[in-house]
Amino acid sequence: MDLFLNLAINGIATGMLIFLIACGLTLIFGLMDVLNFAHGGLFAWGAFVGVWAYGITQSFILSMLAAVIAGLLLGLITEYLIIKPVYGNHIQQILITLGFMLVLSELIKVVFGPNILAASKPPYLDGSWEFGDVTVIKYRALIIVVGLLLFLVIMAVLKFTKIGLIVRAGVMNKEMVQALGINIRLVFIGVFMVGSALAALGGALFAPSSGVAYAEMGMEFGIFAFIVVIIGGMGSVPGSLVAALLVGLSNGFMAYYYSDLAMAVTMILMFIVLIFRPEGLFRVSGVSNK
Amino acid sequence: MIKTIQKSTWIYIAVAFMLVLLPFFKDERWFLFLMIQVFTFGIFAMSYDLLLGYTGIVSFGHAMFFGLGAYSIGITLNFLESTFMNLFLGILLALVLGGIVAFFAGILTLRLKSHYYAMLTLALASLFLVLAEKWRSVTRGSDGFTFRIPELPGPLQDHRNLVVYMFCLVSMVLIFFGLRRLTESPLGKILVAIRENEGRVESLGFRIMPYKVIISVVSGVVASFAGVLYAISIRFVGTNVFGIDVTLDALLMTIIGGVGTLVGPIIGAGIIEFAHHYLSDLSDVHWIFERWIILFGIVYILAVIFFPAGIVGTLWHKLAKRKHKKQEMKQKTSDKLAS
Amino acid sequence: MTNTLLKLEQINTHIEQFHILHNVEFEVSPGEVTVLLGRNGAGKTTTLRTIMGLNNASNGTVTFKGEDITKLPPYHIAKKGIGYVPEDQGIFYGLTVGENMRVGMRKEDDATKERMEWVLELFPDLKKFWKKPGGQLSGGQKQMLSIARSYVNENDLLLIDEPSKGLAPVIVEKVIESIEKMKEKTTVVLVEQNFYMASRLGDRFYILDDGMTVHHGDMSALREDEELKRKYLGIA
Ligand SMILES: Nc1ncnc2c1ncn2[C@@H]1O[C@H](COP(=O)(O)OP(=O)(O)OP(=O)(O)O)[C@@H](O)[C@H]1O
Ligand SMILES: [Mg+2]
Repeated sequence: MDLFLNLAINGIATGMLIFLIACGLTLIFGLMDVLNFAHGGLFAWGAFVGVWAYGITQSFILSMLAAVIAGLLLGLITEYLIIKPVYGNHIQQILITLGFMLVLSELIKVVFGPNILAASKPPYLDGSWEFGDVTVIKYRALIIVVGLLLFLVIMAVLKFTKIGLIVRAGVMNKEMVQALGINIRLVFIGVFMVGSALAALGGALFAPSSGVAYAEMGMEFGIFAFIVVIIGGMGSVPGSLVAALLVGLSNGFMAYYYSDLAMAVTMILMFIVLIFRPEGLFRVSGVSNK
Repeated sequence: MIKTIQKSTWIYIAVAFMLVLLPFFKDERWFLFLMIQVFTFGIFAMSYDLLLGYTGIVSFGHAMFFGLGAYSIGITLNFLESTFMNLFLGILLALVLGGIVAFFAGILTLRLKSHYYAMLTLALASLFLVLAEKWRSVTRGSDGFTFRIPELPGPLQDHRNLVVYMFCLVSMVLIFFGLRRLTESPLGKILVAIRENEGRVESLGFRIMPYKVIISVVSGVVASFAGVLYAISIRFVGTNVFGIDVTLDALLMTIIGGVGTLVGPIIGAGIIEFAHHYLSDLSDVHWIFERWIILFGIVYILAVIFFPAGIVGTLWHKLAKRKHKKQEMKQKTSDKLAS
Repeated sequence: MTNTLLKLEQINTHIEQFHILHNVEFEVSPGEVTVLLGRNGAGKTTTLRTIMGLNNASNGTVTFKGEDITKLPPYHIAKKGIGYVPEDQGIFYGLTVGENMRVGMRKEDDATKERMEWVLELFPDLKKFWKKPGGQLSGGQKQMLSIARSYVNENDLLLIDEPSKGLAPVIVEKVIESIEKMKEKTTVVLVEQNFYMASRLGDRFYILDDGMTVHHGDMSALREDEELKRKYLGIA
């Protein structure tokens, strides 16, 4: 029981990190029909900026903030330089964002040096709580709480604010949103920046938990996030959460019992969903194919 | 017959001939080895171009065929005696396996939209990677294994690298001409039409799937053969042949060289391999050269935005235009003279 | 001249490589219902989309309230005061009726509230199904929602594309009545195949054929002209 719970908590924490990348990705796709394979790069950037900022300020909060700001800026740059020229062309989007992913990863090595960085937690987040025979690592609990909170905030914004209403409408039919007098590109840039910032925050949260930041983690987690978006249904935020937890948990348990097969199980999961339910678990109703 | 051969064919044959002579002037080991890499990756990138450039399919899992080829030949020569018969057998196995896997992967995935297709191929390739890592009794897991290639008769054995060089070169040239035939055939025309507008081809009454499957089988077989050559050239197989880096290399070479040109990917392979070699050497001068891939990433991005036809494609376009203009001028002057 | 609200001059529109509209000329006077007629594929929808900026004119100018809006993006054109009811109604299926109305609301002032109340009185069904997802409405209700949504903003012109499409005669009658009421408050460009509806509502007509404006005049004249009706509209 002890082991089961611990593995479950691990899996949920990983799932939350993946969710932070995936929710931006899914909205970006839903809203603008844009596939951004560079999104994982923001995760890695967030991790490095976070570690760097923590080294300077020794403040956990400030390091997270720095990652978020870096994510916002990088998101803006990405949208402007990389995505804008290839709107509407999936093949070009795949090609160019993949190339940008390479550049982002390599740039990390240029800026922060080619070595793996060691990441540490602040003392007050170190250690664990004991509940009977269950040990809950504090930092993992933090990740889960932050992930859940952000999920709730995102859902509330989508559900109850005007901007959220516009985003949801845009996912369904962006042409009509424009015809109603809304500059959808501005909305999109905003979503893109926020999505990037969430991914960066995910990376910044991840580094102290794994103890390291390395450039390749962008690719690794980016692939996970894409799988999650596909499983959850493109454009659906709750779908992303469910799929991310699913992937996180299956990965967590597999990693313990058959560590090398963890990735394979995730891939097979996606495979099954794609073959039998290509639109994903949660379909977004009324998504136009324009 | 002679008349129908295109002018460009003569150029290619001339270049091929020069490549045959090249090692007699510059026969350092590293150079031969680098050229062999160019040939094998040129073949691999051509097979990628067949998908990307001629059918508009982006695969993230092309490495699976490359790896299949490499493991097929490696395992065959490792478990059986290292004879030419078995070498041949290994190659055959590689081609057949490549074809079969491409066939099933194709009918399973090709009906999906581009991004799903990309992810599914990635998933498939990573399953092969896992297989290679886990099936230790055969693959030696992530350590990989070395194997011997059959001894060549007599004096040739002393020039083994040269023989491999020639074998790879000849393979590349033959595959190049073969694929060019294919793309210029009616089948190739339909494929290009599919890339341009899938819906329209379908509305003209062609069923698209069979064509896409055919092309991905051809592409898979060729890629698998590239893997064979790669394994033979380094006499070692490790799990890295299934890695995403291999696919990314092909993508980079194809895009930088020129999508949909076949010769572009070869040139791209040359540019990347040599740049890798020389720029990595320069890393003693400044560490930034260690990060040479950034340079190519940027060139690649610019190519996708500004030269979707790649370097070769763009040059070709310009040449064709100029030719066209010249002909027009000629026509005009002759018209003038006539009047 | 000042009495023209919308004016299309020499409009040419391409969709991909196809040349769809050829030198379309079109004028709308304020306070009137201008009907755009023509058989299937004549280019009526494309004309409206070109006005909205959803298709780009390759040539020619669209002038609205004396201002050249040809090159403006759709959202900008909408803000100038043009409401659009597309052929497929453009309902956001996953949003409730209320949310569908709210997405389009550019202001939330008293005037807007007043218009909202007025239009909900016109279409009581919308009030009844306020919390129902748009995708679950009937065809007629979707049409009403789309028209109502275009009306809540302070628009000077409504572009309505085939509101009678696929509706039962009783519902068509209802839609006609509601547009008749709106007519008193705003200018309308109406694309219609249903000649009955067109002739009930229209003040002026334009006939499009093969992407060209081939005829225009007062609706009353068209009602009499059997020859013209037969030739372009297929009505005996
Ligand atoms: N996306 C498109 N791609 C290619 N051709 C198009 C496209 N949209 C419209 N067309 C063509 O443009 C022409 C005009 O179409 P349009 O929709 O404007 O006609 P319409 O008068 O509204 O017809 P209907 O009464 O059937 O709605 C048609 O020949 C149509 O085939
Ligand atoms: Mg129409």
